Amino acid sequence: MYTTTCECISPQEQRLHDAIVGKEDKFRKSHSRVFRLLERFECRKPRIDIERALYFTQSMQNTEGQPLVLRWAKALRHIAENITVHVQEDQLLLGRAGCDGRYGILYPELDGDFLDIAVRDLPARATSPATITPEDAKRVVEEIVPYWKGKAYHEALNAALPPEVHKLTYDDPQGLVSRFIVNETSSFRSSIQWVHDYGKILKRGFNGIKKEAEEKLSALDPLSPRDTCEKKPFLDAVVIICKAIVLWAGRHALLAREMAAREKNPTRRAELLHMAENAEHVPGEPARNFYEACQSQWFVQMFSRLEQKTGTTISNGRMDQYFYPYYKQDIANGVLNDEQAVELLECMWVGMAEFIDMYISPAGGAFNEGYAHWEAVTVGGQTPDGRDAANDLTYLILKSKREFPLHYPDLAARIHSRAPERYLWDVAETIKYGSGFPKLINDEEVVPLYVSKGATFEEALDYAVSGCTEARMPNRDSYTSGGAYINFAAAVEMALRNGRMKKYGDLALGVETGDPRNFQTWDEFWNAYVQQHILFLKSAFIQQHIIINLRARHFAQPMGSAMHDLCMKHCVDLHQPHIPEGINLGYFEYIGLGTVVDSLAAVKKLVFEEKKLTMDQLITAIDANFEGCEGVKALLRGTPCYGNNDSYADAIGREIDKISLEYAKKYSMKDLDIHNDVRYVPFTSHVPFGKVVSATPNGRTEWFPLSDGTSASHGADVNGPTAVILSNYNTKNMGMRDRAARMVNIKFTPKCLEGDSGTEKLVSFIRTFCDLKLWHVQFNVISRDTLLAAQKEPQKYCNLIVRVAGYSAYFVDLSLDLQNDLIARTEHGAL
Amino acid sequence: MESREDRQKTGLVFNIQKYSVHDGPGIRTTVFLKGCPLSCRWCSNPESQQNCPELAYNPARCLTLNKCTRCLEVCMRNALIRKGDAFLQIAQEYCEGCPMPCADVCPANSLIVYGQERSVDDVLAVVEQDEAFYARSRGGLTISGGEPLFQGDFTVALLREARRRRLKTAVETCGMASPAFVCAAAPLLNNVLFDIKILDDRMHKAQTGGSNVQILENFCILAEKFLNLPLTVRTPIVPGFNDTEETVAAIASFIARYPRVRYELLPYHRLGTQKYNFLDRTPPMGEVKLGKDIMPRLHSVAENVLHDRLRNLQHCKTLSS
Repeated sequence: MYTTTCECISPQEQRLHDAIVGKEDKFRKSHSRVFRLLERFECRKPRIDIERALYFTQSMQNTEGQPLVLRWAKALRHIAENITVHVQEDQLLLGRAGCDGRYGILYPELDGDFLDIAVRDLPARATSPATITPEDAKRVVEEIVPYWKGKAYHEALNAALPPEVHKLTYDDPQGLVSRFIVNETSSFRSSIQWVHDYGKILKRGFNGIKKEAEEKLSALDPLSPRDTCEKKPFLDAVVIICKAIVLWAGRHALLAREMAAREKNPTRRAELLHMAENAEHVPGEPARNFYEACQSQWFVQMFSRLEQKTGTTISNGRMDQYFYPYYKQDIANGVLNDEQAVELLECMWVGMAEFIDMYISPAGGAFNEGYAHWEAVTVGGQTPDGRDAANDLTYLILKSKREFPLHYPDLAARIHSRAPERYLWDVAETIKYGSGFPKLINDEEVVPLYVSKGATFEEALDYAVSGCTEARMPNRDSYTSGGAYINFAAAVEMALRNGRMKKYGDLALGVETGDPRNFQTWDEFWNAYVQQHILFLKSAFIQQHIIINLRARHFAQPMGSAMHDLCMKHCVDLHQPHIPEGINLGYFEYIGLGTVVDSLAAVKKLVFEEKKLTMDQLITAIDANFEGCEGVKALLRGTPCYGNNDSYADAIGREIDKISLEYAKKYSMKDLDIHNDVRYVPFTSHVPFGKVVSATPNGRTEWFPLSDGTSASHGADVNGPTAVILSNYNTKNMGMRDRAARMVNIKFTPKCLEGDSGTEKLVSFIRTFCDLKLWHVQFNVISRDTLLAAQKEPQKYCNLIVRVAGYSAYFVDLSLDLQNDLIARTEHGAL
Repeated sequence: MESREDRQKTGLVFNIQKYSVHDGPGIRTTVFLKGCPLSCRWCSNPESQQNCPELAYNPARCLTLNKCTRCLEVCMRNALIRKGDAFLQIAQEYCEGCPMPCADVCPANSLIVYGQERSVDDVLAVVEQDEAFYARSRGGLTISGGEPLFQGDFTVALLREARRRRLKTAVETCGMASPAFVCAAAPLLNNVLFDIKILDDRMHKAQTGGSNVQILENFCILAEKFLNLPLTVRTPIVPGFNDTEETVAAIASFIARYPRVRYELLPYHRLGTQKYNFLDRTPPMGEVKLGKDIMPRLHSVAENVLHDRLRNLQHCKTLSS
């Protein structure tokens, strides 16, 4: 829409151009170690490492019948004792969950029922492929899969869903193919996104936790059956995992010492010995300095990945807060400088980048394209006391993001109304770098909502961003089940086709609301939509009820529970449906808001108000995918659209939001004992969801992606970025609390953020976003030309980073569909 | 003047553009008014020149006459003519005073009406939608055109009502206006962006169709009488017209007399070309482009005279989309 003659590109684009013409990266010298680490794996296809799955399975085979939490702890101990440990060349931190390079690991407890098929198909699949050696594939089939057949969580869920819910969930009796309507995600991962209280381990060490568990054990009432059957196994499990992680760290220390003995280079030898000393001390004991703090956190994070598949990767929490005391002390004592601190952090970033969160199921892969990951590092925000929290470490982490070209970790910046100008300026400059970091989360929305759901101000003010757009209170939150992703564009289609969809033929999947050709009024059509909408919600909530209770029989997380105040207090595993005093913050996803609003607005205006189209003409055009009906398509595209601050469209959006909120309000706490709130975060699901929905009344052609998050439909937002933000605001029902995150994507041309005045305007934009109390916003600052060039010559652009959903990924790792989706997002600029 | 009277005043508006970030401070909304006393050869908003509604045609959006003839069916004046099998040509001269129903019925928006009579109230309702952004960025309303003071009564009413509503205001002006309007508008403005294209009047007349005598007089009024009004002079650098060091140096020296006036150079661009085509007009400048290294050179010429009063070289003149 807007273009410019004056050339302007983002620093990221400049960097790519420099690399193409063979210039050395200007930050390479000052970050040489991590550049060397990065170059060893960048742009390579990940490998599957089967060790975790193998040792986990071996142990589980031998502990049948025991309490699950204890079995899990023993399995972790078996892994800690046997898994290969690595000391990587040039690395300053110890601890990996698998082999050298980019790697993924397997979690057969989730999907063992089809792991054999998946392993066969994985190398060739279109979204997020991975390689596996033939020997390893054979071991998966022979040594891992047979045990899990009949025991994996996915199978149990598939069997437990009532037929009317099953048919909206899966497309086949085995539940291997998603229907992409009311999509369950609880079998992609054993838990939704989560964040640990890392600060607790830095302060107390696992030996401190172990001591607490031992004290509690000795205080149990030996005559109490509950103490014996429930609390004791939990506390035993905690003691086992506390020892297991220390043992695992110790094996690393041993190896580092062996390697030091052989090492000829004295500098590296000293490094290896230093690493060994660290690993002999943490994470068992409290960290004494910044380096130990980093090492301790890193062990916790990596061991946590061995424990379970936390959806979207375990998050990193408020790193600039819990590391700060160690940083400050070391700087004051003159034993650390900023370059060393950044180098350690960047060694972590590289380690995170090598771990690929593998989604084994095809639906999981399609939802999380480009090796999605959300190990969110949170910076900024407020202290538990409500003061601004930014410190020197905050600025160092932001600077690292601008200088080291890596899309790990995912970086989230908390924004609040009193955020200092310096902080917002640095955030804006980092956004301008162009790789999509940081995403912004708004304290002014999150904190009051969490307080309204029962948190104290201190807890709510100390939230950490977790996963894509979520916020966690690591000692108070207690909900971990994956929620439903619901395709509401399918509800529009069903309203038009009497409960059916073109893709699924004559099968009545939805409510038979009648032939819309007979509808006389808009209200009749609206009611038909609402009935489908309610059916989807009903199915999602039934799914969730089953999932919550089923999950506790399939998963345990003794390590995660050991780090949670409430779990320790009540001696109960975090996967149990009810944690006393906990706040269960769950959610389900509304997918396709823009598509639905624009479609309903078009029907309302053209068919019922202006009568420019008959329902028959509309349905005929949709059936024909608009071929030969270009006039109808053009008319449909000309009606009011969401994303333009248009009151006609936005009023429909607010009504739709309200239906979901009211349903959630009525059935969440009463029936599910959780806050099952409305969320608008698609990851990349709007692409596979679009593939089952025929043409829609907003002029969208069949199988095309749906609109994503709370962003507008592709190219429908023609009034600039302020209107996108305001439409989002307009469609919220601020009087109700049953809401969770809303994701907004904005794409700017580098031109419109140019220079200091561009930064200044971006800062004002962010402050207004904060004033409007929107949950989340993220930016891509890149020119369309660069994306098109990367599509044409992927080999030259293999390190081009773009923001997808709540994460950034290499553009060339994305499927063609998603690449096109990104290119089609409206670019906002102004002359 | 009463608020009610101002609010009901109407003017001919052809576009309201949100998120304008290159014309005045902060995040702004630019209201484009129709009608201009000049007709610069490089004008990037050709649809702004005439002071009446104009019908334009974008053949790329047209479904083609093979598939849709809705426009032909409603045209009351035989102003739409078939061009070849599939496309249209507009006989503009027949459209004067017509309500242009053809554009209403076009499903693809390929027929565009430039210019709508809108009230101050109506315009400000749109402008105020982005109020939350102005509050944070110290942005606000910019009136552009055309020449905003060409519809002087409307512009003054719009500014007066905007100020009543505590909006920050700016105009982008070519300077060619009655001094009475200039004096009426100035106290209502927080910022003025004022074009001075060249000092040589003969050249000015030849390329813009008007003399610059009145323009320079108006500039002096603003610079000398309204001492608290931030004033930025802008020169669009146009190939073959004023892209010489002498021209820029002369303007810079002229401005140098007024210590608070800032200066900005804007590179010529060809982004308006498409709109010339929609209006079935030939862009007078043809294919000509600016020399590649000319802008930095002229920038340093101006910098030598004006030092830090020169704004950074970074953007192009506002184009109504």
